[in-house]
Amino acid sequence: MSVLDELVAGALEDQHTRERTVSLEEVKQAALAAPAPIDAMRWLKRADGIPVIAEIKRASPSKGHLSDIPDPAALAREYEQGGASAISVLTEGRRFLGSLDDFDKVRAAVHIPLLRKDFIITDYQVYEARAHGADLVLLIVAALDDEKLKHLLDLAHELKMTVLVEAHTREEIERARKAGAKVIGINARNLKNLRVDVNKYNELAADLPDDVIKVAESGVFGAVEVEDYGRAGADAVLVGEGVATADDHELAVERLVKAGAQVKASESTPLSEHQGPYWGQFGGRYVPEALITALDELERVYNEAKADPEFHKEFMTLQQRYVGRPSPLTEAPRFAQLIKDKTGLDARIFLKREDLNHTGAHKINNALGQALLVKRMGKTRVIAETGAGQHGVATATVCAMMGLKCRIYMGQIDARRQALNVARMRMLGAEVVEVTLGDRILKDAINEALRDWVTNVKDTHYLLGTVAGPHPFPAMVRDFQKIIGEEAKQQLQDWYGIDHPDAVCACVGGGSNAIGVMNAFLDDERVNLYGYEAGGNGPESGKHAIRFAPGTGQLGMFQGAKSYLLETDEGQTLDTYSISAGLDYASVGPEHAWLKDIGRVNYSWATDEEAMNAFRDLSQTEGIIPAIESSHAVAGAYKAAADLKAKGYDKAVMIINISGRGDKDMATAGKWFGYLTDDQAKALEVTGAHGNTVA
Amino acid sequence: MTNTATTPSGQPLGISHKPSQTEAMFAKFKAANKPAFIGYLPYGFPNPDVSLEALKTMVEHGVDAVEIGLPYSDPVMDGPVIQAASSIALKNGETIKRVFEAVETVANAGGVPLVMSYWNLIYHYGVERFATDFENAGGAGLITPDLIPDEAGEWIEASDRHGLDRVFLVSPDSADERLETVAKNARGFVYAAARMGVTGERAHLDASPEVLVERTRKAGAENVCVGIGVSTAEQGAKVGSYADGVIVGSALVHTLLADDNRTARDTAEGLKLLAAKSEELAEGIHNAR
Repeated sequence: MSVLDELVAGALEDQHTRERTVSLEEVKQAALAAPAPIDAMRWLKRADGIPVIAEIKRASPSKGHLSDIPDPAALAREYEQGGASAISVLTEGRRFLGSLDDFDKVRAAVHIPLLRKDFIITDYQVYEARAHGADLVLLIVAALDDEKLKHLLDLAHELKMTVLVEAHTREEIERARKAGAKVIGINARNLKNLRVDVNKYNELAADLPDDVIKVAESGVFGAVEVEDYGRAGADAVLVGEGVATADDHELAVERLVKAGAQVKASESTPLSEHQGPYWGQFGGRYVPEALITALDELERVYNEAKADPEFHKEFMTLQQRYVGRPSPLTEAPRFAQLIKDKTGLDARIFLKREDLNHTGAHKINNALGQALLVKRMGKTRVIAETGAGQHGVATATVCAMMGLKCRIYMGQIDARRQALNVARMRMLGAEVVEVTLGDRILKDAINEALRDWVTNVKDTHYLLGTVAGPHPFPAMVRDFQKIIGEEAKQQLQDWYGIDHPDAVCACVGGGSNAIGVMNAFLDDERVNLYGYEAGGNGPESGKHAIRFAPGTGQLGMFQGAKSYLLETDEGQTLDTYSISAGLDYASVGPEHAWLKDIGRVNYSWATDEEAMNAFRDLSQTEGIIPAIESSHAVAGAYKAAADLKAKGYDKAVMIINISGRGDKDMATAGKWFGYLTDDQAKALEVTGAHGNTVA
Repeated sequence: MTNTATTPSGQPLGISHKPSQTEAMFAKFKAANKPAFIGYLPYGFPNPDVSLEALKTMVEHGVDAVEIGLPYSDPVMDGPVIQAASSIALKNGETIKRVFEAVETVANAGGVPLVMSYWNLIYHYGVERFATDFENAGGAGLITPDLIPDEAGEWIEASDRHGLDRVFLVSPDSADERLETVAKNARGFVYAAARMGVTGERAHLDASPEVLVERTRKAGAENVCVGIGVSTAEQGAKVGSYADGVIVGSALVHTLLADDNRTARDTAEGLKLLAAKSEELAEGIHNAR
């Protein structure tokens, strides 16, 4: 006899005992006379959360004694306080040590739907559940034949109760569906490691239509399983031991409810309006508590500003009169010919000219936006990190314009690669601190900036330059940069009469220019999106900054956010390398990590060599010298064109985001292409300026 | 793959109601009206073997609980001394797998073993796997300088299953509701940062830690310890007069660093200085009241 058979037989025997006191007819009358049940269907599925069914559970056959629960009503109230959407009360007495008496006490104590959980196989038990005020009953497919299952399901539905139908296999789910189940309990635990197995869940639940409520029914203990099941698509979870045996029951339920809400919010659409803090499993705030107050303040002030038309007016006026926006969308026919020669794709290429902004890159969009927020917050000092120097220059520029004190952290190696930008920042009145700790590149500059911020957070704003870091930076920086794509879309229509591009290409370091140009197109499926990381010497060389290719980045927390990260087996951050200081970063913005996981953006890379060739190609076909960072997007355009061709496009309209101009890179390019005399090159070596390799 | 988070019969572990080692320690100290002395040292500094000796030395010379630091490549909460020590440890082959030896060393010496780690290291090792190995080694709890309770779902679950303490930080400008969130989710004690900023020795401490300890207690925390900036016996005594525990890091680490602050000091000399510094601080802290 299986455990289930035994439990069913016991439950039946117990029912017969009760029936001797209260006849079927009496229990029917009581069921019909009971106050109408709550429509539990409405409690078990919601757009903004994963409803929690918390269980009153003293013991189970598999785990034995769990908890005494002397006062089930008090426990139920704690569950309700914690935000449970329904409560499951075990009424089986032999192995689970529950009773209908428990059920009555709970019914009297709370006003949310109640599930009678028992081994129900007879009409009597169904009427009995209703008579005691149940809103839901459990039916176990494995304990019932088809006819019986349908009969009990219909009976419960007639009594206006909701039925949670428990199924363990595909066949059982089929049977439940055929019988008319509207709420199906799915058990997707991997019996080997007992963790929720998303593949198994998908295997079981894949074909279930939307109108069937899917309840994850087994193995839910804490936030981890809620997240796993939630991301796999479960509508609700049922949890027993994890809440019943917790020291603080209310807090335990609250944590599950929060985890569910977080999952739902993290997957919200439309993509272009996603506000964080989580993009899928990415993002968040992995920072010291000491920064939380400042981040909260920033988020609050930013939200106020966002809703304030005056803020937008001031921002847009400065964008127009100071930055020089809109930046043009320039058609590049001679470069398009090169693309056609190499790939066979008949492309019209348009360059979004962020290189023509004041300070020569897209970075000023964000620097300006955040500087206005600094004024709103009443802070007086600004710190920032910079890699290629473009963000540092942009920050120093807006600080000079607004009279803010400014300090820029720059890794020593980057400072040498970009000596001219260091001089520019100093000319603009900023203090430039060369960071000699760690690998002396962008990430180390960010570490120092974070240390400064933790220490001086009262009067200091950290003007982070990309869509990485802790919330609200990824969403906020995206908002300040999304003007790039919005303008490009409009210009394509107004200037060229083209409704939409077929492809958009951008380079991805932290990812702000890429998000900026892509955001306006994220929800337009017709637009193929391509992001290009810094390939350095290629993925196999170990000298690159590719986070997304197989065998490169892993999931991790870095500088405030969860994302993909280049790290060692020990979780230590790996050295990265790229000829482009601005893309030389071990991690990537969390929104990109999500866009990669959901397949919305195609990420690939361009090596140093490919980028430098593209640098020359664009310079010599169009008279536009792109930054080495942007050259990765130009190099990517060849790959994107090949991909479009493979997808069946013969003609295509492509936008390439030229995120910055290449003047700052002339020394590096001069060395690369041998345009400098030996003496000139030597002079650069001696001063340590413009080296194009990482020491 | 075997999952360690199971009972012998193959069921998942439930909530461990094992008593907290640190809470037991604080109860003992409270009964004697004394604060506890918590000392920090990165595991693997200056190298794995010497660091074990150093940890033992600390416990033998008056440190009650040890924060065993896990060296990290990007320690944003640490000042120059601990950065230097961490970087030396990483160069000398520190690995997280062997930190459990350090945990055992502290436990065997009679100290309460805590680990302090930036979150990515634990996440990468595997949260459940870390909790299992840490519990098996006799570990008491984990201090997480860059993991706030709001992000700690996986750790809360694992620490519940393994009966480990969760030590979160609060800082002088934390709002009351933040203190409440931390107090509610912490187990063992709450780590109060004496000032805004990174770790390191300071000549003067202002009055803010006392206010913070008071506010954190009011927010519901049972035990509140103060760290960051405490480096002398005198400061230890002052902080110990109101905090349940006094945490010292950089000043201890400093004894094992050479005068250039970038390389390790001669081992024998370093350990002697570490023993002396531990005693000096223990004297000040334990006689604070």
